[in-house]
Amino acid sequence: MASHLLALIVFSVLASVVFAMLLRDDRQSRVRFALMTVGAFVLSAVVVGWLMYPFPN
Amino acid sequence: MEKEKIIVGEQRAGAAIPACLFAWLLPGAGHLYLGRVGKGLVFLGAIGALFVLGVIMDAGLQMHLGFDDPLALLRSLAQMALGVPYFLARALGFEAGNVTSVTYEYGNTFTEVGGLLNVLVILDAYDVAVGRKR
Repeated sequence: MASHLLALIVFSVLASVVFAMLLRDDRQSRVRFALMTVGAFVLSAVVVGWLMYPFPN
Repeated sequence: MEKEKIIVGEQRAGAAIPACLFAWLLPGAGHLYLGRVGKGLVFLGAIGALFVLGVIMDAGLQMHLGFDDPLALLRSLAQMALGVPYFLARALGFEAGNVTSVTYEYGNTFTEVGGLLNVLVILDAYDVAVGRKR
C-alpha cells in the first residue's frame, strides 16, 4: 500500500468503525458517527498536509 | 452521600476479569465471551485488519522494555496491547520489519493505533461485564 491517500482512508475507516462501535449504541447513530469521523480524519490530514506544504524540510 | 451506581445492562458476576483477559489476548474476544457477538466480530475485524495491514506494510515489532528510550517503550506497550497476534507475528519472524521500506512508518502507526484501540475495547468489555454498558 504505497499510496499515502489510500493508507489514510483505510486507517480512517478502520479506526472510525471501532470508535463508532464504542461510543454509539444504535446502528443509525453508529453509521452517522463513523462517516463523520472518517470525514474528519481525511479532511484534517489533507488540511494539515497543505499547511505543511511551504515547509518541505 | 454514596453515589448511585448506574446499571444499564445485565451484570455478570465474576465475568469482568476473564472478559478483560480475553479482550487483551484477542481483540473482540472479550465481547464474544460476554455474548456481544456483533460488537466482538467488528472489533476483531477492524483491529485485526489494522494489525495485519501494519505488518504487511513492514512495521517493526521489536520489544523495547527499557527507559533509555521512552518513546520506543510506549510504542512497544501499544503494540503489546494487541495480545496474541503481536506475539505470534514476532514468533513468525515479522519482528524486525523493514526500516528502509516507504511504508515502514505507516505500518508502525497502524499496529500501534490498533493496540491503543484494543485498550479502549478492553475497557468497554469491562463496562459491559459490570453492567455499565450494553
